[in-house]
Amino acid sequence: MVRILSIWLPQLPLDRLIRRADPRIYGAFSITADIKNATRLTHVNSHGYKAGLTPGLSIPDARAICPDLLTEPCDPHREAQLLRALWRWADQLSPRVALDAPDGLLLDISGCAHLFGGEEAMGNEVRTRLMDMQFISRIGIADTKAAARAMAQYDKNKVSISPAGKTYNALQKLPPEALNISPQLAGELARSGLKTIGQLYQIKSSELARRFGLHLTKAINASTGQTPDPLTPADADPVYAARMTLPEPVGYVTDLEEIIKRLGQSVCARLTETQKGARCFTLIVRCVDTGEHYLSVGFTKPCFEVGPILQQFSRPLEQLKIEFGADWFRLEALNIEPIRLRQTKFGDVSNAEDNFAQAVSTIGNRIGFDHVHQFHARESHLPNREFLLREAIDQKQKPVWKNTPRRRPLRLYNRPEYLRPIKPGRPPIQFEWRRNCYQTKSAKGPERLTAEWWRDTDMRVRDYWTVQTTQGPRFWLLTYPSQTPAQWFVAGKFP
Amino acid sequence: MNKELAEPGAIKSAFTTICPKNHGAIKLDKGVTLAKGRVHEVQGDSAEMFALIVAATLTGPLFWIGQGHDIGSLTPTGMQSFVDPARLVLITGITRQEILWAGEQALRAEGVRCVVIELQQGPDLKESRRLQIACEESGAVGIILIKGRAHTSAADTRWQCHAARDHDMAWQWRCVKNKKGKTGTWAVTWRGGLDGPNTVHMATATAA
Repeated sequence: MVRILSIWLPQLPLDRLIRRADPRIYGAFSITADIKNATRLTHVNSHGYKAGLTPGLSIPDARAICPDLLTEPCDPHREAQLLRALWRWADQLSPRVALDAPDGLLLDISGCAHLFGGEEAMGNEVRTRLMDMQFISRIGIADTKAAARAMAQYDKNKVSISPAGKTYNALQKLPPEALNISPQLAGELARSGLKTIGQLYQIKSSELARRFGLHLTKAINASTGQTPDPLTPADADPVYAARMTLPEPVGYVTDLEEIIKRLGQSVCARLTETQKGARCFTLIVRCVDTGEHYLSVGFTKPCFEVGPILQQFSRPLEQLKIEFGADWFRLEALNIEPIRLRQTKFGDVSNAEDNFAQAVSTIGNRIGFDHVHQFHARESHLPNREFLLREAIDQKQKPVWKNTPRRRPLRLYNRPEYLRPIKPGRPPIQFEWRRNCYQTKSAKGPERLTAEWWRDTDMRVRDYWTVQTTQGPRFWLLTYPSQTPAQWFVAGKFP
Repeated sequence: MNKELAEPGAIKSAFTTICPKNHGAIKLDKGVTLAKGRVHEVQGDSAEMFALIVAATLTGPLFWIGQGHDIGSLTPTGMQSFVDPARLVLITGITRQEILWAGEQALRAEGVRCVVIELQQGPDLKESRRLQIACEESGAVGIILIKGRAHTSAADTRWQCHAARDHDMAWQWRCVKNKKGKTGTWAVTWRGGLDGPNTVHMATATAA
């Protein structure tokens, strides 16, 4: 006899924040989502309920009821990840666990319940264990998936069990929404006066099918166990890792390289099989005397070949001090990304791209990827905000540059440097900067730029002058017209 | 019997290190060339311009390596009329050793044709020789911008570049050291055009 246990986490998004000890949960707080053209509350905490808030209210309505309400938009991706983590955790309860997105798990507990001392004890145990991890849960146990889910979500008890073979009767008192049908169909049923599943039982299934469609009768049959509805456990996240244990410790660099090569071949074979590549590889070396050492390398492009892995590890391996040898190794690929196998291009275009990525990886691994940047264009009229430095490794698209309408200096000093006017003028006729004296031969300007009012930073108006000196160098001088007496700065230098 | 001499590979490799591969040269203007696969030193207030004009004659990524404040003051909008900023990869090193190491790695990498290294003091013989060997292997051009003093080095040429006062696209370049050719002074003007071989006009000027 199949027995299914359903875990329902009614406030999973809220629990996620509670677990992170978010201080906002100590007052009225709610998770929101965009539903029916409005941002509405979906999960309200206990303080919110006390203030009179209910899920489904739009934010303006909720603020009118409770002005102190704080909200946070839902994050379906993180919630799914959390549920997936719970799915792995649930392995301790039963070998067959399925995800019941977005906020539940289904466990096949046939032959497991006696290990916990019966079904009731098991249900309570699961609830306690989840409570220890700050999850609020409701448990339902029944013969079928749909019935277990219905018991968990619609029964009054926190742990509700329908005895084996009695699912048909247990469902009788529950509303038809419990049957895993669309809200639209549930509304139609409610309008026709069918308030419980028991009432549905009394109508001939052929008539139900004619009036409400086959979907309803199928749902009833599945939940009462008349048609099979087996539980399909979700696939585990693939782990791209390989491990090697040696009978004797080794310490020579050539031996270590050979080990990385073999481990890499095993990992890369699995990566290529699924058309994946990894952006990061971690090697754990367990030395006999000093314990585990973690070495890791990063890549600009997802990597799935042994050669580059070996090449990037050569440097950290050199720095590793192994005196008495190491006998346990594990290579794991992290940050898995799909790779697109490209069509071979004419010429060396793709080859050059590979070489470029490899050069960036090599340099980045040694001096840190936060030291390798590229220029990206940005929409702004201010000279110091026209461009942006981005790390070359997280390059989703290549930078694109359009021709600039104005001439700009090659060097732009991040904080304009003060210059000392010797002979004043507009701009100064003679001035001293960085211990050198310059004379203005000709000047062009001013180019007047206003600050970006939507950013509340330095709001002064700037005047820029292009100055050609008799000594040669061409400067970009800056002054603030609102300031008296006028102060002059060197903003940049032309080539 | 001497085993080392008996191996033909040993003699060949010894030969190649003595006579490095000829990688050709960049033609800056009529009669003025800059050898590829070599390191060149540049000094002066518009030294960056020399690097940009050399980079404009080459294709592929351009690595620009230097300390944080040097890299931080570079603007892509200012170099746009000479080199496409999308080609640029900026590497910030903290110490001089790091900058030199990154320069060597970048020069060795395949597919990299031009590497610009900004240094406060010029490289000494050992440092420049290492960079030179990396250049010879790959055929890339290494350009070292020296802010302070230059030292005796293995670089092929040394240039002093200054902005000229004539108009806003004029410079004066002086070659003060050339291992394989003549030195001289040129009045340089910008011809316009991006990524082409004839980017500058160099007229021989009398020694200033």
